Amino acid sequence: MRMRSLLLIPALCSFAMAQAPQANDPILTAMQQELAREKADLVIPGMQRPYFIAYRLEDLHTYDAIASYGALTRETESHQRVVRVEVRIGNYASDSSSARGDGSLELAPMDNDPAALTYALWSATDDAYKNALRAYAAKQATLKTFQTPPTANDFTPAKSVTLIEPLVELTLDRDDWKRRLIAASGLFETSPEVRSFANDVQHSSASVSVLVVNRYTVDTDGTVLRHGYAGYSDDINVGGQAPDGMNLGRSNGSVATTAAGLESAAALNKRTLEDLISFNELRHAPLVDPEDYHGPVLFSGDASADVFNRLLVPNVEADRPDMGTAARTRGAYQSSYKTPILPSFLSVVDDPAMRTFEGHGLLGAYKVDDEGVPVAPVDVVVRGKLMNYLIGREPVKDFPDSNGHGRAGLGQGAHSRAGVILIKSLDPLSAEALHAKLLALAKEQGRDVYSVETLGGELAPRLLYRVSPDGKRTLVRGAIFDELDQRAIRSGILAAGGKPYVAQQVMPVPQTTIAPELLFADITVKRANEEQQKLPYYPPPVLPAN
Amino acid sequence: MSLRVAVFACAGSLVCGVAAAQTVPTQSSTSSVVQEPVLMQAMDTELHRAMADLGSASEPVASSNEKSAEKAPQKPYFLSYSAADAESVTITAQYGAIVNSNQSHDRTADVQVRIGTPELDNTHDTHRASALTTMSLPLTDDREAIERTLWFTTNRGYGKALDALEKVKTEQQVRAREEDRSPDFSRQQPVVDILPTEPPLTVDRAAWEARLRQISGIFRGYPDIFYDTVVLQATHETDYFVSSEGSKVAAPNHVARLIVEARTRAADGMDMFRDETFEADSAGHLPAQAEVMTKIEALAKGLNDLRTAPITEPYNGPAILSGRAAAVFFHEVLGHRLEGQRQRGDEEGETFTKLLGKAILPSFLSVADDPTLKTYDGHPLSGHYLFDDEGQPAQRVQLVQDGVLQTFLMSRLPVAGFSESNGHGRAQTGKMPTGRQGNLIVTSAKTVSDTKLRQMLKAEARKQGKTYGLYFEDISSGFAVTTRRSPQAFQVIPLVVYRVYVDGRPDELVRGVSIVGTPQAALSSIVATDDHPEVFNGLCGAESGTVPVSAVAPAMLVSSIETQRQAQGTSRPPIVPPPPLDDVPSTSTPNTTGTPKGGR
Repeated sequence: MRMRSLLLIPALCSFAMAQAPQANDPILTAMQQELAREKADLVIPGMQRPYFIAYRLEDLHTYDAIASYGALTRETESHQRVVRVEVRIGNYASDSSSARGDGSLELAPMDNDPAALTYALWSATDDAYKNALRAYAAKQATLKTFQTPPTANDFTPAKSVTLIEPLVELTLDRDDWKRRLIAASGLFETSPEVRSFANDVQHSSASVSVLVVNRYTVDTDGTVLRHGYAGYSDDINVGGQAPDGMNLGRSNGSVATTAAGLESAAALNKRTLEDLISFNELRHAPLVDPEDYHGPVLFSGDASADVFNRLLVPNVEADRPDMGTAARTRGAYQSSYKTPILPSFLSVVDDPAMRTFEGHGLLGAYKVDDEGVPVAPVDVVVRGKLMNYLIGREPVKDFPDSNGHGRAGLGQGAHSRAGVILIKSLDPLSAEALHAKLLALAKEQGRDVYSVETLGGELAPRLLYRVSPDGKRTLVRGAIFDELDQRAIRSGILAAGGKPYVAQQVMPVPQTTIAPELLFADITVKRANEEQQKLPYYPPPVLPAN
Repeated sequence: MSLRVAVFACAGSLVCGVAAAQTVPTQSSTSSVVQEPVLMQAMDTELHRAMADLGSASEPVASSNEKSAEKAPQKPYFLSYSAADAESVTITAQYGAIVNSNQSHDRTADVQVRIGTPELDNTHDTHRASALTTMSLPLTDDREAIERTLWFTTNRGYGKALDALEKVKTEQQVRAREEDRSPDFSRQQPVVDILPTEPPLTVDRAAWEARLRQISGIFRGYPDIFYDTVVLQATHETDYFVSSEGSKVAAPNHVARLIVEARTRAADGMDMFRDETFEADSAGHLPAQAEVMTKIEALAKGLNDLRTAPITEPYNGPAILSGRAAAVFFHEVLGHRLEGQRQRGDEEGETFTKLLGKAILPSFLSVADDPTLKTYDGHPLSGHYLFDDEGQPAQRVQLVQDGVLQTFLMSRLPVAGFSESNGHGRAQTGKMPTGRQGNLIVTSAKTVSDTKLRQMLKAEARKQGKTYGLYFEDISSGFAVTTRRSPQAFQVIPLVVYRVYVDGRPDELVRGVSIVGTPQAALSSIVATDDHPEVFNGLCGAESGTVPVSAVAPAMLVSSIETQRQAQGTSRPPIVPPPPLDDVPSTSTPNTTGTPKGGR
């Protein structure tokens, strides 16, 4: 799919919000009843009443299974409900809230027992109110010690919204998946293609993990929400050591909104074998050059998505700055409004209304955020310039209103978080053209260049290739990147590809980032000087004869 | 997990002839009867392979391209594998509704590696944990996967142990001579005893969920009790242990526990709680619903009354500790201080270390710890096990005889004067075992009836010029299940206390005192006891994790106990009255006792 066509997608975002309040959900009814009672009665004589109360019930259903060395080692399933009560004292301009997000939690009944539920809410409300009173007093005292008043209000009003979505259910063929995991994690010793180095595979595990969340929310603005999401993921993790002791591993998987969206058993096996083979190639790969390299590096879509998720996304999520400072937000882009943060051929949109992309169900999609604000596409970066922050109901300077990005982690308060981030190039190159451009640079500079397929944590390369001017690729190991920072993505990207990669995460909030390949002009590749652990002190048990 | 309950009890004789079931063991210590489980075969094979290969001259995998071949690699002198194979059901109810209901199956391996010599090894002093590495094992009897997991874990543990031993050796060079120069590991005879494994756990979850709803529903009748939790835990576990010394033990245990906890807050902000634990070898043997309901109804009422009870003044005078309170008191104040490892080390208080052979209690009191007892006077005991977590057989240990301190609770960590374990090395899975209590039993040679004990209390109070004595019905400690912290030595907080007036007025419930003073002083001022010991079952947390324990003691009259105002809680009680709770959930369980209905 060409990136250009993505620009049409925001038109799909209109949706009907005006469903009549459906009070036939016993959970929402109980929550509304207790909220009404507390709104009327909750005050310590002589102290302030809350100006805002929100109740959220989270129904969490999880399933996890792990197999290691071809045997199941863990299978857990849990189903639990938690209520979270948020109470705000003061007013919209200045209230009891802190940057942390304040609330009280209680376990809630799995039984649909309204009395037990209201009792749990009552208990949590009392706790939240007392904490809010204390926090308000402390915060007002602290504010008096600063010369500079806050640059924005603490909270913003929102229209009431009613949205009742169908409940999300956990659907997974558990026995089938257990069989798949057992088979995949045992491939290192059962598959002829990899058996020759089975003794060098120190760990081999496969897992599947499902999180299904249904959220019930009511607040004193009159909002009534019932919405949810599901995240399904499977992972392979294989690894061991190179002959010099360096720890090496491959770990990857698929993420989807339904079980059907996960990779097939055949695909899982194929990927496991590929991981095992690339692990073995890594073991025998030469170390990266000991002297630093500064020059062109081609990032795959997978690697680019990681780069954006670390360098860009958190910095366009508007977090309230520390008290007493005149900053707009926290992070790298607090004073970058309307200034370039990317090259002029790149734009970034956050569009949670987009539910699928090239057949992938998108985890970051939603209609109404966790603070009851409907979401519309937000042009975050237009032709390289930062034009909007993603923001919830806690304003920052120049952004007094929510744009529907108040999103909450499990049991947490809402914070400004991205939904579906799309990085689009106005001038996308085909994969071949991009590679040709990389080789042209190598020839022009008369040296080898680099191309990276996947990254591990901290933006460290996992599969990094040295590419000679004639196109020969050599896998190398033991490298880290340096100077891969905001400056690099602002002024160091030469070109972007046209094959978007969909990266998804379930935790802490479901989020999707869709990014193309990127060609950087000047990234530092250097040798990681990590401690090398001793090789195994004795050999693993002898493999059974096949 | 550390609890082991078996199908027989092998009771030791107790001082004062307190009745305990004397049963003949039904299982002899031979492994030939029982087929060795696959898990155990795999553990045994892999352990011997590791002992043969680790540190052998031809270091097979690691290429020693480091500077100067550093002597020969070190062989471990001890290696043990213990595996806990546990199936559990946990159901929790609050406010009359189920909040979760889960079933689980876990298999966990604790691999222990010791390098150096028993005199000085990698566990020395603060490095105890360096011997232990924990890993999940395959849930099925896949021998190859089990062996490979054990290899991975052992290899990691060996590296950790090597590192720790280097540190130990360096520290020995720079530190002053240690006061207690005991070895780090005792020498013991290997034990082979393979008992049948546990059958699969079966719990009628729907029926128990209904019971828990009903029990928890009691608290709906007491809206000021703002927190309650009722938990059923049922576990079938088999523990396997193999060691390089030749020990091979498989021991099953099954336990079911019903735990109830409730909290309230007085108008002045003081928090108060009560808890109750019912214990049996299986969920089916827990007390009938009617009995539980009666007890919890009384607990709820008592806690509710306590909320409005007057606060008592600081007091220094005579008091009675109920059997239950005395049991908790002895567990906390005496039992923990007799754990062997507390007698050595730079950080230990060593309260009783130098009192060996001396009187620490009045001569009419004796104390034993006897994990071999499964029941006491018909009551199940939580602290029962057959083998401790170092594979040592459980033993009855006479800690105090006629008031004189005899010995300590020993794991395989020796202390001056005690070179061997006495079967009290206990730990939660994933922790290094230390000397811990099992069933602590206090016996008395000077018993009187309850009536007489009360008369003695009043007489003593009168003699000391007091208008009342105190009666401690229940006291709390680190026993509470929700409190996972290790017990603070003297933090015993009385939960239910009455003034017993000398002039014959009715007893008056009071609140807000804590017991202070040194343990020796408190223990030596015990004057007499009653004649029917009470059992307290609970979970005890300390360095080696949470283990189930019991304490048994008669009620005691103490001539002088010092109390002070309890410092706690300044939060107001809830602002808004509780929501209406008049729809107490109906239950289908037949044997209901009267449940008060209605909120306020």
